[in-house]
Amino acid sequence: MDRNAVIEDIKKRFEADVTDVFDKSPKRVYIGIRPESIRRVAQYVLRDLGARFNIASGVDARGHMEILYHFTLEDINLLVSFRVILPKEKLEIDSLAPLFEGANWIEREMNELLGITFKGHPDMRRLLLPAEWPEGVYPLRCDYREWDKDAIRDRGV
Amino acid sequence: MSIKLNALLKSPWVFHLSTGSCNNCDIEVLDCLTPRFDIERFGMLLVGSIKHADVLLVTGSANRKSVVRLKRLYEQIPKPCLVVAIGECALSRGMFIHSYNCPVPLDKIIPVDIYIPGCPPKPEAIIAGVVKLINRVREKAAVKK
Repeated sequence: MDRNAVIEDIKKRFEADVTDVFDKSPKRVYIGIRPESIRRVAQYVLRDLGARFNIASGVDARGHMEILYHFTLEDINLLVSFRVILPKEKLEIDSLAPLFEGANWIEREMNELLGITFKGHPDMRRLLLPAEWPEGVYPLRCDYREWDKDAIRDRGV
Repeated sequence: MSIKLNALLKSPWVFHLSTGSCNNCDIEVLDCLTPRFDIERFGMLLVGSIKHADVLLVTGSANRKSVVRLKRLYEQIPKPCLVVAIGECALSRGMFIHSYNCPVPLDKIIPVDIYIPGCPPKPEAIIAGVVKLINRVREKAAVKK
């Protein structure tokens, strides 16, 4: 399948799940997906289209939280980014870690830095933050405020 | 000069520790050790274990997790020892000064003997800094005597 056929195929197969398609450039396409259907779409792209999972990125945008799952289709040189928009009141999404191991650590990282809950993750522990970090404080959120009273924030000169 | 200090200054063995740097300072430190700049002509030698070291070279901005390791290493280095802070991050945390993960600068955690600024500092600057430090310690020891 060539590039356009792949996009059309995803559009047609997941008609109810795809919210929008943004054709950025010949090498790059963004596809909006409803949060509840990410696992099915990811499974199809990985198992049937033979894509490779690059990375996922979480963004704290104004008014909502966003996760981008980047998949590469190497034989046709295309990077497909599935964009999932989560409302701030309900930061929950199905975990992709049971499908493939590559999603394990990045979901742990998004969980501790942005506070997104991944349902069905096999091993949800902290990855980067130290043990003394307080529960429920997420450093990469826009509304993060300093909690550490001992922190020194001047240059000392 | 005491025999301990003499042994320290004659051939200072260095241990290189990165506390969460971008690796650029580490590359410059490595540059110092390789034949082009060759700090071995001053008797400096990179060692693999902190227990063999006289000088602790620290790069990076001392983040919350590496601070624990930094303290542990400082406890283990044979005293008297010298601590060299290399690069802007080790000096004042550079652009990471407001980072949630870098709460305290390096010199508020362990005593630092010399600061080598730069992002990253040139190998020449690192060598000059370390030689200056050795000379200063030697002069001080001579005055005391």
